[in-house]
Amino acid sequence: MPVDTRRVRGPEVSQSPLLFACKPAAVFSSHGPRADGRQRDQVDVRPVFVRCGLVSQAKGSAYMEAGDTKLMCCVYGPRETERKDDTDMKCGRLTTDMRFAPFSCPERGSWIQGSQDKDFSLMLHESLQPALCLHKYPRSQIEVNVMVLENSGSVLAHAVTCASLALADAGIEMYDLVLGCAIRQDGASYVVDPTYAEENGNGSDSSDNQGRLTLAFLPSLNQVSGLQSDGEMTEESLSAGVRTCIEGCYKIYPVIQQALAKAVRRAAPPPSES
Amino acid sequence: MSPMKLCVPGDKLCSVEDCTPGTGVYLRHGYIYSSLAGYVLKKNEGEELPVISVVRETETQLLPDVGAIVTCKVTSINPRFAKVHILYVGSTPLKDRFRGTIRKEDVRATEKDKVEMYKCFRPGDIVLAKVISLGDVQSNYLLTTAENELGVVVAHSEAGAQMVPNSWCEMQCPLTHGKEFRKVARVQPEYLHA
Amino acid sequence: MAAGFKTADPLEYHRSFLKENCRPDGRELHEFRTTTVNIGSISTADGSALVKLGNTTVICGVKAELANPSVEATGKGFIVPNVDLPPLCSSQFRPGPPGEQAQAASQFMADIIESSEMLQMEDLCIERGKLCWSLYCDLICLDYDGNLLDACALTMLAALKNTRLPKVRVNGETGAPEVDLGKRRGLKIRRHPVAASFCIFDDSVLLVDPAAEEEQLATARLTVVTDEEGRLCGVHKPGGTPLSGERLQELIGRATVRQKEIHRLIDKVIKSIV
Repeated sequence: MPVDTRRVRGPEVSQSPLLFACKPAAVFSSHGPRADGRQRDQVDVRPVFVRCGLVSQAKGSAYMEAGDTKLMCCVYGPRETERKDDTDMKCGRLTTDMRFAPFSCPERGSWIQGSQDKDFSLMLHESLQPALCLHKYPRSQIEVNVMVLENSGSVLAHAVTCASLALADAGIEMYDLVLGCAIRQDGASYVVDPTYAEENGNGSDSSDNQGRLTLAFLPSLNQVSGLQSDGEMTEESLSAGVRTCIEGCYKIYPVIQQALAKAVRRAAPPPSES
Repeated sequence: MSPMKLCVPGDKLCSVEDCTPGTGVYLRHGYIYSSLAGYVLKKNEGEELPVISVVRETETQLLPDVGAIVTCKVTSINPRFAKVHILYVGSTPLKDRFRGTIRKEDVRATEKDKVEMYKCFRPGDIVLAKVISLGDVQSNYLLTTAENELGVVVAHSEAGAQMVPNSWCEMQCPLTHGKEFRKVARVQPEYLHA
Repeated sequence: MAAGFKTADPLEYHRSFLKENCRPDGRELHEFRTTTVNIGSISTADGSALVKLGNTTVICGVKAELANPSVEATGKGFIVPNVDLPPLCSSQFRPGPPGEQAQAASQFMADIIESSEMLQMEDLCIERGKLCWSLYCDLICLDYDGNLLDACALTMLAALKNTRLPKVRVNGETGAPEVDLGKRRGLKIRRHPVAASFCIFDDSVLLVDPAAEEEQLATARLTVVTDEEGRLCGVHKPGGTPLSGERLQELIGRATVRQKEIHRLIDKVIKSIV
């Protein structure tokens, strides 16, 4: 195994105390009310808290909380592309990087970026790119960095929302905001904006129609910019899931609009009309 | 007067029949939409339709564009060209630095073949220049100083003092009274402190 | 065009302020930036803290895992501090493995823990030679505006003060650990080491708590770590202008005052939680 010489090293092996817990943690049940009191089979998203412009060094930034899921996004650029061969004379480049803090999940994660982080970064890229007016930024790059501070489920969906907020805060020209929403299908029933336990639990008795869906949506243009699904779902529940997610996106839309308006107002009073 | 309207990217502002699109907006299916989070500004200009724009507190991120006047700092020179960092576009500071090149033939308008780069710029000089091309994939922004108003605005002598311009091609050190050659711009060097 | 002066000639810009005995951000030369501490906001960590020192923001999550004690020290546990400077916190950092500054900061945190004896490693031992705790203190800078070391040291201290470890006992028959996640107790923090950083401008002027730009233009930097009894736990001076003995004494004096202020602040925050 390669040794990480750039970090302070601990013992060679260590294990999470969760593995030795006397009482197993509460399992995800597929019936009855959800652990946090939300409704099953309804577009019951967690209330979100968003704030723009917290990071002094970034061009634009946003912090977002949905339940216990906490994440932060910073936008840098447009600036010169790093490598010459990446330069596009007609169009700007978007780069995305999404990481999980090692303490963000129940079990400690590694500092080294895993394949999941890379998949998420790619999904984020695909979801955001259609919304940006990249042709306005020839030969430059726009960097989007997301840090997940606490993972309590539906991280990718919230990362999309948070990133589009940070981009708007940075004053990058966009066709529309991008909002994200996720659902977890469990047999005939589903939960919207699942928590970590709901996302990862294998709850129901039947193994049919089990899956997860994350959707990125442009609310004003009414277009879907990103869709990721895993598991096995019937065609009907998938298309119903897409509709449910779109509804979920519209639920958080006013909060996002208000947060942005607040950021604009705080940055400067309205210019004189002349 | 009603408070000014705020908008976010994607907000539908009006039909193209009511306004002409300005900055910070885009056109789609006959309607004007906002592409920025900011204030909606309508400007009436004569008989024509008012121009609708979305404005923010700071100028939205400007990229050096052809024809723009930029302020830059010389980083290195050689007999053929000078390399610079662009610090400002117009009066807007850039958060990230962009690199540019001033070629020997773009230093001044006359006697181009007699230009000696070392007699025009030194590393560390602050130069006012104009963008003539975005360059290609391999090169940087191409800049020119071939106008009277363009050229060196702030330079330090070998003794480290800020020099005073004597003519369009010479500056003098206030400490040692030594003279150095520069392609001087016709602006007061004090403008940076004002 | 005061702003023009700032980008074109930052050194002269700073000098013009220092002549008037003040700094570009309005502080006096010996003044620290507003410091705020927030603890326990990350529920997936066993202990956490978020510290803001002016704009500079650092978050620390402590994750405890079970490990075997090392052969050399059978009665001791581990503390593994690591500092990360992600591209999110400033445009000067690139993605990838930790750079020199992050490595140096990680090592400095490890040195503080060791030399200050803030925790006794024996306290982390569960059963001699068999089982011990390994505390991973993962520090992430979220906004880099200078004086990383002070912010990191404070965040780590606050997070460790906030850490509560679950109760563990080793099953006599099977030898396997049994963890009761419901019962938790805090760590015994024996000392409160606090760092205070200074920088020297133009080989003569002394500034306290340098912001990012001041740090960059300074001719020397110095960090002094002291505990509540005024004992010196560490001095870090990476090159630069030489410093006289008297000057150093003066700075150590200033650092002990800072220690008292910060110690009070932490106590206040801890009390407000309980």
